[in-house]
Amino acid sequence: MFRNAILRSARAASRAAPRFQTPIARPAARSSLFQSKQIIPAASFQSVRCYSAPAGLSKDEVEGRILDLLKNFDKVSDASKLSASSHFSNDLGLDSLDTVEVVMAIEEEFSIEIPDKEADAIHSIDKAVSYILSQPDAH
Amino acid sequence: MSREMALQAYRHLLRSTRIAFQGDINTLSAARFEARRQFDSNRSISSGSEDAVGKIAQAQEIAKFLRENVVQGEKTDAEAENYKLRIHEHTERGNNDDIKTAGKGNTLAGVKCCQS
Repeated sequence: MFRNAILRSARAASRAAPRFQTPIARPAARSSLFQSKQIIPAASFQSVRCYSAPAGLSKDEVEGRILDLLKNFDKVSDASKLSASSHFSNDLGLDSLDTVEVVMAIEEEFSIEIPDKEADAIHSIDKAVSYILSQPDAH
Repeated sequence: MSREMALQAYRHLLRSTRIAFQGDINTLSAARFEARRQFDSNRSISSGSEDAVGKIAQAQEIAKFLRENVVQGEKTDAEAENYKLRIHEHTERGNNDDIKTAGKGNTLAGVKCCQS
């Protein structure tokens, strides 16, 4: 099981950092063929951890990026009302089509695709923030 | 009901423009502006009416067409008439078997590519 975990992390690391592929690929390949005592080289590179940790985005960062995005959105009627809890239509004066555009812009910003059902439910900044935080793929 | 459908169609349309006009800011913003204009001009259609359903279906078809049947081409050099096409994962592709069914009124394994 331990060996599997190392292999998995080795694979993740080599995918995340193709530049380091040659030094990384070798210990990973070796550890899959040999027994556990020869895993040491693989364990030593594991301390490098060139891939990002699972909790990649902080709440403040997500909030800041979404607020920046809305600041640049010219249909926001009253920019002074922009806050972490603003509602798109009640506070910012956006209509339903604008909301779709905002959600689409958020998708592009965090390079994810939000399924229709979830996207329909995002009507405020805090909902968007909590959705992004719940997505491990968002970055 | 059809309000959500319209929003969904709009979302699909925006998504398709992103796929079809990737990296081409001028065309992308023009396409999005046009989409927005069309949706705005039909704002007064009452939801659930036949007209609304038809318009939504049309928007969905446009989205599908943009995604599957539009490819970007870039001239490989200024003089030659050669273009490099960006064929992506969503582009509709046939296979050699289609030639046998071509001209029989349908395409791609019996599925019509667009119902217009």
